[in-house]
Amino acid sequence: MRRRLSPEPERTEINVSPLIDLVFILLIFFIVATSFVNEVGITPKHKDTASSSSNLEEPISFDLPSSGQLLQDGMVIGLEQVAPLVRSNSSDKPRSVLVRVSPGARAGLATQVMDQAMLAGAQAVKLSPLTQ
Amino acid sequence: MHQPLRKYIPATITQSYFQMRARNRLIESTDTDAINVSPLIDVVFILLIFFIVSATFVTLPGIEVNRPQAVTGKALEKNAVIFALSGDNEIKYAGSTVQLEEVPGLVEQASKDKGKPVVIQVDQWADASILAKIVALARKKSSDVSIATRKPRA
Repeated sequence: MRRRLSPEPERTEINVSPLIDLVFILLIFFIVATSFVNEVGITPKHKDTASSSSNLEEPISFDLPSSGQLLQDGMVIGLEQVAPLVRSNSSDKPRSVLVRVSPGARAGLATQVMDQAMLAGAQAVKLSPLTQ
Repeated sequence: MHQPLRKYIPATITQSYFQMRARNRLIESTDTDAINVSPLIDVVFILLIFFIVSATFVTLPGIEVNRPQAVTGKALEKNAVIFALSGDNEIKYAGSTVQLEEVPGLVEQASKDKGKPVVIQVDQWADASILAKIVALARKKSSDVSIATRKPRA
């Protein structure tokens, strides 16, 4: 009787603080985990199905021999000449580019050639290995 | 049976109006001194569910490569199957070295017929013919194969 009349009302409540702690930790974990990988890169387009009509014209091919040079039609060219070559050849229609690499060629150079070709607006860029 | 009731009623009646008000105010004040956390928990739960649903867990190759520079580099899909080709021409996937022949199987296994894109982290000094072979093999299983490059300087 005395307890019931006392100003402190007797209440049974679930203590939610540990729950909130746990939920906050999970929340912070998922916030941090959402942005782990932010990758930047090039996606060489390839149009095998849609290019049946444009297959008639030959793609501009660049060769990367194991010597580390960059060849176009047998001539040694520089990386900065790739974009003008693709552009001059594609005055009417964007053309496809073929990058042929020999074992021993640098992947960095191959990537940069593809990058330059895409910068020049090549419609398809294909990387193909040369077997020797 | 009526005895306890009769005893109780006079006690409440004799309580003055002011006494009752004072007691009520006291009870009210003890009710409100704890902050109501239910809306907070609701909001936190909604945020938690949002982040769980939007979280994508990717398996990283486990090595850091020296990416080539590129001008046309664009942000790639985060939820991708990532391979790495190291400078000494080893193909890495999920922390271990894999063989070239294993690549299509791994792509298929990882994307679980959802058609996940493939990202190849290639070292500048790696062999380009191996890169070309990985790209060709990955294309058999995924329509979207990208080569990771360095972030362009802003």
